[in-house]
Amino acid sequence: VIGTAADIVQQIAKGARSAAAVLAECKTLIQAKDPDLNCFTAKTFTRAEREAAAIDVLRAAGEALPPLAGVPYAVKNLFDIEGMATLAGAKINAGNAPAAADAIVVARMRRAGAILVGALNMEELAYGFLTENHHYGITRNPHDLKRGAGGSSGGSAAAVGAGMLPITLGSDTSGSIRVPASLCGVFGLKPTYGRLSRSGAYPFVNSFDHVGPFANSVLGLALAYDAMQGPDAADPACAQHAVEPAAASLTLPRGIRVGILGGWFHEWADPAARRSVQLAAAALGATEWIELESAEVARAAAYIITGAEGGALHRPRLIERYEDFGPSARSRLVAGGLIPASWVIQAQRVRRHAYREAMQMFERFDLLIAAAAPAVAPLVGQDTLLINGRSIPTKAGLGVLTQPISCIGLPVCTVPIWPGEGVSAAEQALPVGVQLIGAPWRESLCLAAARALETAGIAEFKTPAR
Amino acid sequence: VRAALALQGYTFEDAEIAEIVLQFSRLEAIAQTVLAWPLPFAAEAAPVFRP
Repeated sequence: VIGTAADIVQQIAKGARSAAAVLAECKTLIQAKDPDLNCFTAKTFTRAEREAAAIDVLRAAGEALPPLAGVPYAVKNLFDIEGMATLAGAKINAGNAPAAADAIVVARMRRAGAILVGALNMEELAYGFLTENHHYGITRNPHDLKRGAGGSSGGSAAAVGAGMLPITLGSDTSGSIRVPASLCGVFGLKPTYGRLSRSGAYPFVNSFDHVGPFANSVLGLALAYDAMQGPDAADPACAQHAVEPAAASLTLPRGIRVGILGGWFHEWADPAARRSVQLAAAALGATEWIELESAEVARAAAYIITGAEGGALHRPRLIERYEDFGPSARSRLVAGGLIPASWVIQAQRVRRHAYREAMQMFERFDLLIAAAAPAVAPLVGQDTLLINGRSIPTKAGLGVLTQPISCIGLPVCTVPIWPGEGVSAAEQALPVGVQLIGAPWRESLCLAAARALETAGIAEFKTPAR
Repeated sequence: VRAALALQGYTFEDAEIAEIVLQFSRLEAIAQTVLAWPLPFAAEAAPVFRP
């Protein structure tokens, strides 16, 4: 299993290992583990060797090393990688011209010294919470190959969960970082909407698209987040915020007020998910429950906006190449494109209402917690989830607890928690993540709370048993 | 749905339309929650979202 980003940086800085040696280890792990998991859709080893050699030259010359010097990582295949067609999990994109440049966040990771080793599988066009891709195959869960990795950033979560990489990048429109992070037992960060630039990331729903990192440690997550921060005039949603480094201040301030989201978030959490929340709440000293009354309608609003924007975005290609879309995506996209404008406008009004309700909650609490998924990872091909006696389609239901939050753009750090006792035997060895939800622009607080849980041994990256 | 598909420039076989109708009916059911939610008359939309 690969080490943490911070360990790798330290080993290279001290000369204990070269960047080339770290890369060689990483390649060996990928070659051994990926055939079972199907995380990678492309490997960029030639580029990686060039980037690792540059780090070793810097080290040999006694130059200062950048913050992620020699750390291998890979990206969901919706990020532009110079010289490669950007797939976004879709056959319709396979014949596109190669990207002329890296996506902004990939370029920033490169400048931070990270070593790009490949592109990762995802749900087609990021539309869904599974990674059962019609064109590029199923990405499986590193903790149980009979189960899925979740999605849409399933390759990104599973590659970290399997111990192949310390950091990956993904995107989150409705839960596509938080759901697979939860199911694969890794840390994930969905920053505030507008915090990280999406330039060079294949779009899905402009109103909700976020990008962010996965990692096997909180410090690694924060280092990647810091490396990617900064304004970008090319992304109209990217806020003109200065970089606010998080990695250097991961200590949770005293007196933080943590509320536990009840109502919708409790109803749609099964016993394993509730146990994860209970463990996190106890460790953070949270005892008070609070209800986001607009959670259900915020989720519904997210559904309507997602359908409409996604359908409109892909309409020209749906007209010309309907058969080249996967069967799961195409009819949903066309149907979304038929949504009346009045529904979309009402959904956007609801969105503002839900945002205001959440902001009132942040007058009483600094942080809110809820499960990141309603249950442990479902079996591959499982059509429905049964949550507290209620059935819900798996593809939509996995995001039931994440959609209300991304609808209003709040920052969330998802931490891996293992419910253990009190749940069924089949679920004891599987994680259910917990969302640590902050007020806008308070990613640092989310990360500090994650670090507190990690230090306490409540949130933990675990090596897969096999 | 057939009329809306025509307005959008789509032409499909009946089997494909049936699948799209099914998907649209799911969206319509979810939309009812949104449409029924009481909001002040002057509540503005958030098409360009700034947290």
